[in-house]
Amino acid sequence: MTTTVYSARRIVTMNPNRPFATHVAVRDGRILGAGSLEELKGWGEVEFDTRFADKVILPGFVEGHSHAFEGGVWKFPYVGYFDRTTPEGKAAPGLKSIDEVVAALQAHEKTLPKGASLLAWGFDPIYFGGRRMVVADVDRISTERPVVIIHSNFHVANANTAVLAKAGITRTTNVHGIVKDASGEPTGELQEMAAKYMAYRAAGVEIAAVLSDEQAVWRFARVAQLAGVTTATDLHNELPDSTVEGYLKASASDDFPIRLLPAFAATAIPPAEGVTRLQALVKKNNDKLRFQLVKIVTDGSIQGLSARMRWPGYYDGTPNGVWNVGPDDLDRILLAYHREGFQVHIHTNGDEASEVGIEAVERALAAAPRWDHRHTLQHAQMADAGQFRRMKALGMCANLFANHIFYWGDIHRAKTLGPERAERMDACATALATGVPFAIHCDAPVTPIGPLFTAWCAVNRLTASGRTLGEAEKIPVADALRAITLGAAYTLKLDEELGSIDVGKRADFAILDDDPLSVPPEKLKDVGVWGTVLGGKVFEAPKA
Amino acid sequence: MTAPIPFTVIGGFLGAGKTTLLNRLLRGAEGRRFAVLVNDFGALDIDGRLVAAHGGDTVALANGCLCCTIGDSLVTTLLGLLERPDRFDHIVVEASGVADPGRVADLAVLEPRLSRDGVIVVVDAAEVRARAADRRVGDTIQRQLKAADLLLLNKTDLANDLPALQVWLGTQSDAPVLEARHADVPLDLLFGLDRHGATAASPSSDTFASWSYTWPEPVDRDVLLAMLREAPGEVLRAKGIVRFADAPDRRSVVHLVGRRLEVGDEGPWGDTAESRLVILGLKPVLGSLQRE
Repeated sequence: MTTTVYSARRIVTMNPNRPFATHVAVRDGRILGAGSLEELKGWGEVEFDTRFADKVILPGFVEGHSHAFEGGVWKFPYVGYFDRTTPEGKAAPGLKSIDEVVAALQAHEKTLPKGASLLAWGFDPIYFGGRRMVVADVDRISTERPVVIIHSNFHVANANTAVLAKAGITRTTNVHGIVKDASGEPTGELQEMAAKYMAYRAAGVEIAAVLSDEQAVWRFARVAQLAGVTTATDLHNELPDSTVEGYLKASASDDFPIRLLPAFAATAIPPAEGVTRLQALVKKNNDKLRFQLVKIVTDGSIQGLSARMRWPGYYDGTPNGVWNVGPDDLDRILLAYHREGFQVHIHTNGDEASEVGIEAVERALAAAPRWDHRHTLQHAQMADAGQFRRMKALGMCANLFANHIFYWGDIHRAKTLGPERAERMDACATALATGVPFAIHCDAPVTPIGPLFTAWCAVNRLTASGRTLGEAEKIPVADALRAITLGAAYTLKLDEELGSIDVGKRADFAILDDDPLSVPPEKLKDVGVWGTVLGGKVFEAPKA
Repeated sequence: MTAPIPFTVIGGFLGAGKTTLLNRLLRGAEGRRFAVLVNDFGALDIDGRLVAAHGGDTVALANGCLCCTIGDSLVTTLLGLLERPDRFDHIVVEASGVADPGRVADLAVLEPRLSRDGVIVVVDAAEVRARAADRRVGDTIQRQLKAADLLLLNKTDLANDLPALQVWLGTQSDAPVLEARHADVPLDLLFGLDRHGATAASPSSDTFASWSYTWPEPVDRDVLLAMLREAPGEVLRAKGIVRFADAPDRRSVVHLVGRRLEVGDEGPWGDTAESRLVILGLKPVLGSLQRE
């Protein structure tokens, strides 16, 4: 029974009884105590570990809304506008023009075997001054092999002539989602179902399994760990046997660097079967793999113009979005899992979706009263103060998509929501004021996983163009740090086990180069992550 | 290349009768192999004695039909089905109760192995107007009605004022309306004729019938298409293999579902003797067509 005491420049515990400490003692993968060296010596013989002496220790970050799919897509080249970090810890620099994207993929193309399709992801043309990628651009990469470049939102893609020809797409093809130019020719840009279908056709249907296999979840875990994350969700997965097997194998390894919480996609099979399946999966849980969450997706996305909005709808007059699971089905599915004691995470982007989600929980509680259910609205981007008050009254949580403020805030202000609703989107301050337990998230791979960046968004509310979007919804750094640790753990019903540095909890730490409470708030995202500790095991991040 | 497989989408709101219709289809398949993609095959009324094989997400029936659960992704389920070695005569997809079935039918346009057959939207005669006025799902219902090639107005026995409902439906959709109780309609009206052309045995009943045309000489394209475009509302389907005067060496396929008319090309005309067109519809009108 070894007891290790780590010294640190500062330990930020999230435990209000002892908010800061200089030493933390770890035994059997759990926290024995945090305090002064003198205090911790009382536990008996200890080993000193001083490697964090100049570092700052926080509870390991908890990412409450991400997808292991992030690890899947790293199988393919990243061609986004913003810099990103690969699972190996290398910098994947942002590509700042269509020509740069084409050049990068021309080089990649030469490495592929004959006949193979070329897929890339993360492309985001909204920063290219209105210029869209067209089929001629993509044909410069290859005219022979199928080429599909998936956009950062995963709902749009660009394809080359080979893809269009194979599908018989011409100027006469009348299908929603095939973008055409002024002369009526397809530009190669495909949206929604058309994009998805072409990506799968090019990649082969087995790609779905590849994106969620054992290697993918390893890559996801590494990307998360590099950002200081020790617990992450895979918040929508059908959990086919092959995926479950991969997750079980990965999580059984001592070197697997995170605790993973997959959320069962409730629409995968009928609720009665789903409940049985999830109950069986729960029995396979281990320290690093927890089946316990359920996910239901109600509407689409705001920027994809598919969110379900209350009156007055989209700022630019776009018709209301679409239901994936409509109000009636939501009631039925939610109640089935609610009755069996599961916690349900409900994706709601638009405010009509949030309203429907809240009312579904209200009805489920009336039908089957239950305490401490913690059903959580995921995204709840447009929720207003009234909706937060209802969430509070019903015992619900919210997980707000703070990263949206940076990545799409300008678009929301100008086109989708208009200034007033954009300024109050992802309303962290309202959540605090109304007392709704909340987390903030990245939705990786939609945006990169990086809780300090997410906290920075909630604190500063700066858009990509540098505009402050909603002064009144900014929250203090301390509250943002709580939202990426104990707050997120609460929304996953793990707050008694992790999320703060407190006696008896898991020894899960984020090891930082600097103190996020001392740096200027606008520098929060730049605080370096040295690595993590998971259950007492140290994971140093490779240096970029 | 083998001929593309007809692809039909059944849309309509929760409770309209989509499952009842699919049960009829599976029971009445009569030698045609349907692959039916559904949201929940537990809801289907499949006679256990007719199940040939049960494979988790699929149930194979003794009559050659296959049911698949769509699960979380129609795209991957459909692609998986197309990769199977077994061939099907027709693929039918049950759209979710809130989906736009027109968007689902787009898949058949994107996929060369499929041909878009039709979008049938099942309408609950008792509920549809209240649903269409609902603040949250009204626009979804309206999109479904608009996307229909054929409307199956179901539960007419439960409707308050059927004539008024018919008038209202006319303001929502251009599609012809087929009235039914318990989704009891002739399957050929919905799922058409043999995929190889107008050669199937003609269905008939008290209320509907088929009419078959043949032309030994090449046919004037404009005249034929105009006739179909202007056909009365009671004409529900038509399918023909036609030798057009402006393309006498090509085998043109004429396909009408509801008000959607498409002309395709199936290669060289070959040695077929004559053009042939079969129309399915409600009886009185076919009588008048016969006179023309």
